[in-house]
Amino acid sequence: MSSADWIAISPLIAVAAAAVVVMMLAAFWRRHAIVAAASMIGLAVALFCVLPARSAAPRMVTGLLAIDEFGLFYVGLLLKGSLAVAAVSYGYLRARGRDAEEYYALLLTATLGCVTLAVSAHFVSFFLGLEILSVSLYALIAYTRERARSIEAGIKYLVLAAGSAAFLLFGMALLYAEYGAMGFAPLAKALKASGGANVYMLAGMALILVGAGFKLAAAPFHLWTPDVYEGAPAPATAFVAGVSKVAMAALLLRFLTQLGATDSRPILIALSALAVASMFAGNLLALLQRNVKRILAYSSIAHIGYLLVAFIAAGPMGAEAATFYLAAYMITTLIAFGVVAALSPRDRDADAMEDYQGLFWRRPWMGGAFVAALLSLAGIPLTAGFIGKYFVVASGIGSALWALVLILALNSAIGLFYYLRSVVAVYARPGEEAKAADRAPGFSLAGGVALAVLGFSLILLGVYPAPLLRLIQTAIASL
Amino acid sequence: MQTVWPLFVYLAAAAAVPAGMIMVSFVLGARHSDRATGEPYESGIVSTGSARLRFPIHFYLVAMFFVIFDLEAVFLFAWAVAVRELGWAGFAEALVFIGVLVAALAYLWRLGALDWGPKPFARLSHSRHKDS
Amino acid sequence: MSLLWLIPALPLAGYLALAFGGSRLSRAAAAWIGVGSVGLSALVALGVAAQFIGTPPAGPAFHQTLWTWMSVEDFKPAIGFYLDAMTVVFVLVVTGVGFLIHLYSVEYMAGDEGFRRFFAYMNLFVASMLVLVMADNLLLLYLGWEGVGLCSYLLIGFWYKDRVNGRAAQKAFIVTRVGDTAMALGLFLLVWQFRTLDVQQLMTQAREQWRVGAGMATAAAALLLGGALGKSAQLPLQTWLPDAMAGPTPVSALIHAATMVTAGVYLIARTHVLFELAPAAQLAVAIIGAATLLISGFSALAQRDIKRVLAYSTISQIGYMFLALGVGAWSAAVFHFMTHAFFKALLFLGAGAVILSLHHEQDIHKMGGLWKRLPLTFWTFLAGSAALAGLPLITAGFYSKDLILWSAWSSNAGGPALWAAGLIGAFLTALYTTRLVCLVFFGEEKGRVASKPGWRVSAPLAILAALSIVGGFVETPRALGGIRWFGEFLRSALPAAPGVEEAPERMESAMMLIASAAALLGIVLAGVLYLGMPRVVEGIAKRAWGAAAQAFWLGGWGFDWLYDRLFVKPFVWAATVNRDDFIDSAYNGVAAFFSLLHRGIIRTQTGRVRWYAAGVALGAVALMAIVLWVR
Repeated sequence: MSSADWIAISPLIAVAAAAVVVMMLAAFWRRHAIVAAASMIGLAVALFCVLPARSAAPRMVTGLLAIDEFGLFYVGLLLKGSLAVAAVSYGYLRARGRDAEEYYALLLTATLGCVTLAVSAHFVSFFLGLEILSVSLYALIAYTRERARSIEAGIKYLVLAAGSAAFLLFGMALLYAEYGAMGFAPLAKALKASGGANVYMLAGMALILVGAGFKLAAAPFHLWTPDVYEGAPAPATAFVAGVSKVAMAALLLRFLTQLGATDSRPILIALSALAVASMFAGNLLALLQRNVKRILAYSSIAHIGYLLVAFIAAGPMGAEAATFYLAAYMITTLIAFGVVAALSPRDRDADAMEDYQGLFWRRPWMGGAFVAALLSLAGIPLTAGFIGKYFVVASGIGSALWALVLILALNSAIGLFYYLRSVVAVYARPGEEAKAADRAPGFSLAGGVALAVLGFSLILLGVYPAPLLRLIQTAIASL
Repeated sequence: MQTVWPLFVYLAAAAAVPAGMIMVSFVLGARHSDRATGEPYESGIVSTGSARLRFPIHFYLVAMFFVIFDLEAVFLFAWAVAVRELGWAGFAEALVFIGVLVAALAYLWRLGALDWGPKPFARLSHSRHKDS
Repeated sequence: MSLLWLIPALPLAGYLALAFGGSRLSRAAAAWIGVGSVGLSALVALGVAAQFIGTPPAGPAFHQTLWTWMSVEDFKPAIGFYLDAMTVVFVLVVTGVGFLIHLYSVEYMAGDEGFRRFFAYMNLFVASMLVLVMADNLLLLYLGWEGVGLCSYLLIGFWYKDRVNGRAAQKAFIVTRVGDTAMALGLFLLVWQFRTLDVQQLMTQAREQWRVGAGMATAAAALLLGGALGKSAQLPLQTWLPDAMAGPTPVSALIHAATMVTAGVYLIARTHVLFELAPAAQLAVAIIGAATLLISGFSALAQRDIKRVLAYSTISQIGYMFLALGVGAWSAAVFHFMTHAFFKALLFLGAGAVILSLHHEQDIHKMGGLWKRLPLTFWTFLAGSAALAGLPLITAGFYSKDLILWSAWSSNAGGPALWAAGLIGAFLTALYTTRLVCLVFFGEEKGRVASKPGWRVSAPLAILAALSIVGGFVETPRALGGIRWFGEFLRSALPAAPGVEEAPERMESAMMLIASAAALLGIVLAGVLYLGMPRVVEGIAKRAWGAAAQAFWLGGWGFDWLYDRLFVKPFVWAATVNRDDFIDSAYNGVAAFFSLLHRGIIRTQTGRVRWYAAGVALGAVALMAIVLWVR
């Protein structure tokens, strides 16, 4: 490995080193604030390392990792998301008041898994990244181990994620058996040489889609989502929903694009089936739900459906739309769960609709942020979510996917119902009980700053998306 | 289909072996029902108590540590085979690897995960509310 | 010029600060933010205008594009501003007069509990109007247009606890909405035809592609005219403006002088190319203007409420502007807009001072003799009235109105009929204005003056009074010096009216004398009737025909009655009959259908891991099947 290689993967190394440092701090200098600060500094350093890494790009490191504009864009995005999660977690864990330190080490290893996924161009690094992420998530989800629901969520996620990983591995094995390659680029070459799709290729791709679809919570692999989102502590849910999905989607985008899978009709039809099923399942399941974390879980299922429409829309336009959509989705999700985390008291998460009754009148900024997030999820103009959805629809129309776009529009209309119902709750006059409970125990300065920055970005991207779009265009061009 | 037929033979053989064993023991085996027939055989000693024992959590912990650290050693063997070819870079990488292992061991030790006594995890419970 | 964006951004920032600061701001801070933001904006506008005059741009205008909102093929709406000579005039008037009104409001609204809310809305109002006049594309223009409509709703219904005010706000919103819909259709038509949102490009392309009198041009112009009629309260959409007096008096001043009602005038002047291509639509503008100015002139004569008199006079004066637009005298319309902004803001603010000092008494028959008690208010009000009445030679209103009358006579698109209507209107204006002054300030004292205005009320009055007098000397008839500054300044943006310059000077002088005579006649007649012979007036009012005419005019020619019968009653009837809304049942059916689906699909969420795992497995099988099936 040359020194340029080291520079190229420096963000990954920084995250890994930060994880070790945080673990040592947890052992020898057990102070929550210091551990939290150290992990945030570690993430910031990693984020900073993206700049020199960009100058070293594009570059394949050891055949496993593709450090290019695309990968680094997602690395940056994921690191920012992780930073926000860490900031939001601080107040939440402080309110919980015990054993907070290991959480950050797990968060950092999970982030390491995510960034590995974003730059991986090989089945080995794909699986490695996925497992680093998954194993960290098992523990993160069950972190509030004094709560039965948290343990239950962790076990469920463990069993199902392990099972779906088996499907994924089998799919990889089929492709390897047929083409004798595990890197994306050699695989694409072998695929082209063999002259198109055969049974092994299609079966392998389908199985990989199962594994990826599980991580993304695309229907029909979505059943775990509400239980896990509800049981996990709110900041961990934010990570699962906001960050880990983005990493998986980035990998899938690279994988499908490099293999030219979007030219293959069976794969497109499989993706369409996933998209349609996800949109309907997510929105219909959310319709009469009263638990805010479950609503957000269902809504995230639906959003993966919208996202897949952009995947199906061929060409750079679709990839750009998907990337913008993911950025908007990550910001929005992090705000929503960040507010949930900030409002959560010591012994439970603030996930009942009643917790949000009249939030705007009690805490106008937090209520405003929550409403902004909901409106962005619903795709109302002047939010990032609107622009994201707009690009997805535009890319769908550009590829003449009329049926999908129509279903997307229909589902957006269904979705409005439960988003707006939540908005109404936030604006309702607070009852006496709610007034008495007028506290945000999980609020911290760091979390507040993170929410403010996220909220600002949400509006900024809705009004002035051009700079991000330019960045995304260069990223996609490198793919 | 030409290439797949050994698979089917294998599948048939795999089913046939256990089925044959059960069949044979069914045909040849003696059948009687006495007082002790249904009880577990433990070297002729009559068993006591339930089979569902509660092991101390440390049993699992130490078992896990053993597996983890033992497996890590396997990687070092692989490195040792090719140590000359890998040169100093390989040496540095192995050093980082061992360093991470040592860090994990130090963490476990500081936390009291290796203490086998009545009050494990002293550090963990100590740290409560320290920052708040 | 790079500071152009600050002009609308400052009031907008003021609005945001006030809206989000809320009750945390002290009253003094709210006042500083509210007045300061508009004041700074006015200063920036002055600087920009000085630069515009000092170092004129290469083309007709300065152009500043901040950013492109989104870019999808032909659809590239930019956040961009366009500043030509006409925009300079509008921006100066909106920010300048707006600032004076804000300053005045600090004292006028001092005791109101909604003080911060008031300034937040006012700032947003000014910001929206600035966006409207500075927009370089139709989308941004429409944003400003709708923002103005929204703010007028919020401010007319400012004292929302009284139902009447709420209804007035709704009326304003709904009536203007009729026009807005037409305008939106017009904008869609333009975008559909020319595939661009940029106003200047649209105008250039329209001139190239449409011949004079083309059906498409007429349709576009007519639809835009519909929007202008609604916002500017012209026939047949004028009914909302008298009721809009429900808002606080500074709001009325802002609506009438600087924002809102002049938006229609701006729109037509900005798209004058379309109207030149559609002579029929342009003729309609002139006829509507003439009819409106006559009808509302008569109505003003019969009103008892001081603010309603002024409201009808506004409708009438905007009618003059439409008349000017209709005969192609674009710059004359803008000229009258400017002078009207000065004296109408002055009159409203003066009326507000009177109302405030008389404990919110608005009936002019219960006023009188105030000239001794409120000398400053009296003298400034007198100056504004003189300008409104068009007192010859010394008032701004005289010069702008005379220019319109002269254009109506001499322009190729004009004629004796339009001119005569304008002349009668001038007579009526003088008549009702003098009546107002006589009843309020002269005669016997009826009310008791409770308080005298402070400097924040007096200063705007004095400044506006001065402007109402001298503001007209930038454009005078040939017989009186022939100054042409204003028209020439606007020439880069608005063409001259065809035929006006060529008409003989002697004719112009004669017309000027006739117009002066009409105004003077009105003033003298009203003075004699209301000061000298009040019995005669009472006698006329007691006669059957006199009372009928008064009732008819008081009710605004029965338009409210007519609309109530034609639209409101049938609509309410239909709504009552259809209380359970049969169309709703379709929507309810959709909702019920989806909640049924929800109940079905929610059964899949059992909470059991083995079922979830089975779901993954079944999904995998299905996916494999799909992939292998369609291969």
